Amino acid sequence: MMEQPVQTETWKARSLEELVRILHQIFAEDKVSVDEVQALMESYESNPEEWLQYAKFDQYRYTRNLVDSGNGKFNLMILCWGEGHGSSIHDHTDSHCFMKILQGNLKETLFEWPGKKGNGEMTKKSERVLRENQCAYINDSIGLHRVENISHTEPAVSLHLYSPPFNTCNTFDQRTGHKHKVTMTFYSQFGERTVCATGVPQENN
Amino acid sequence: PGVLGQAPPPAPEPEAALAAELSARRSAEARRLVLSPRRLSGPLPAGLSQWFPALEVLDVSGTGLTEMGTELLSLPCLHTLLAKNNRLGGPGSLPKGLGQAPLARSLRVLNFSGNRFSEMPPALLQLRGLRSLSLGGNRLHGIPPDIQELQSLEFLYLGGNFITAIPPELAKLPSLRYLVLCDNKIQSIPPQLAQLHSLRSLSLHNNLLTYLPREILNLVHLEELSLRGNPLVVRFVRDLTYNPPSLQELAGRTVKTRSVPYAPSDLPDSLVRYLSLASNCPNPKCGGVYFDSCVRQIKFVDFCGKYRLPLMHYLCSPECSSPYSSASQSSTSQSESDSEDEASVAAHRMQKVLLG
Repeated sequence: MMEQPVQTETWKARSLEELVRILHQIFAEDKVSVDEVQALMESYESNPEEWLQYAKFDQYRYTRNLVDSGNGKFNLMILCWGEGHGSSIHDHTDSHCFMKILQGNLKETLFEWPGKKGNGEMTKKSERVLRENQCAYINDSIGLHRVENISHTEPAVSLHLYSPPFNTCNTFDQRTGHKHKVTMTFYSQFGERTVCATGVPQENN
Repeated sequence: PGVLGQAPPPAPEPEAALAAELSARRSAEARRLVLSPRRLSGPLPAGLSQWFPALEVLDVSGTGLTEMGTELLSLPCLHTLLAKNNRLGGPGSLPKGLGQAPLARSLRVLNFSGNRFSEMPPALLQLRGLRSLSLGGNRLHGIPPDIQELQSLEFLYLGGNFITAIPPELAKLPSLRYLVLCDNKIQSIPPQLAQLHSLRSLSLHNNLLTYLPREILNLVHLEELSLRGNPLVVRFVRDLTYNPPSLQELAGRTVKTRSVPYAPSDLPDSLVRYLSLASNCPNPKCGGVYFDSCVRQIKFVDFCGKYRLPLMHYLCSPECSSPYSSASQSSTSQSESDSEDEASVAAHRMQKVLLG
């Protein structure tokens, strides 16, 4: 459960391996600080040699590649975004979401939750472009977001931590606010390509 | 597009020094050569094909190239050429004779994204073996109809240009699976695009589309479709105004819907002809017919079970709406002959359609 603890450590993760190790340590406690995790994620200086094995791209859309399953407390995964690839507007199923850029840039657009009737264009709150090594944070009380690689020349890679882990979320139609539940799947797990069933609604636009 | 946080480029290397170094690194077996991020002061060094005769992959991205140079013609088995983020785009960017070079048959992947092409160079269209082409982030204003020459094309990335229209010839690419047209200035999609039966992914976000042709429904293999950032529909549902049908039309409708019997001897020829022109309202729940008074509306329709898209629909009156509609209704008074080219209709107005 994430709250503000009495003291916050200042961590420095010198490698991806060390980052994972410290995360396990942090999440073994009863209380975990959002600021502490965000600072830890940001402290890791992206080194492609350490994560290249997880960075599997797909031609058609962005991919989710599981790196560590956090003893059930969190999921750590690497997302690979080809040029022009983007997500739908989505929520985070009552979980905490940290997103760190490992390579390239990602644009994050924040949206307000649609009204009860879901009958009208969704309201944009803000947008920003996240740079290499920056780490963003979001949860459902902050709002919804769309993440996209707006570059037409460079792919992007991001490191995501979700706690607690979740495999379904809602996607939202920007024009109407209507939501649609989807199941998220992993393109690869622990560096191995997973073959999953087709026909499952994919998280997209 | 543009430079986000990139380091300043290194100084250009003297051609002789680069040639000497590459010559020293020569290899009869090497299949890949990456020259990035060095800065080239001229085209591809002469002699490259002799030092690396087995070259299959060449990456000269971010080297500042203004022209590829003639050495490209001598590479016997190149299948991937990556030349993104350069200064290509001028008249001499590609060497003459490309169509006769081994490259024309061997090249599968070409990436020219992040250059300065304002039009697709004709020489490019001679690369008949090309499977993947990227011209993202250039300055293209259009797509040449001869794009259909690239019959093996599976992947076409044209995002981030200034393209205003799509030629119907683009639909003649039978293997095209991935088509990216996002971040352009496209106002309409030709209905012929529905013939791209291999299309799996279509990216149209951030354009100037107000509607899509209903033929898009035929793309049954489509799994990804992006439409955000287009001025789709919502605003001109409000612009609808409607002119009531004529007495003749109302009488004609009654005759048809009530199956009032008549014979050619009962009516003037002109009215017999008129009655034969009745069309059924496309609303499946409406049993009505219309003659020459139609409300042309843009409606959201479910598509592939995932998206609600605006399509051109003909309805017999504002009260007659499709099952999916909740929009209020009226129509403009502007008349227009029955048209096949919905695409040419101005998207911000509703048109009254006259048949026959």
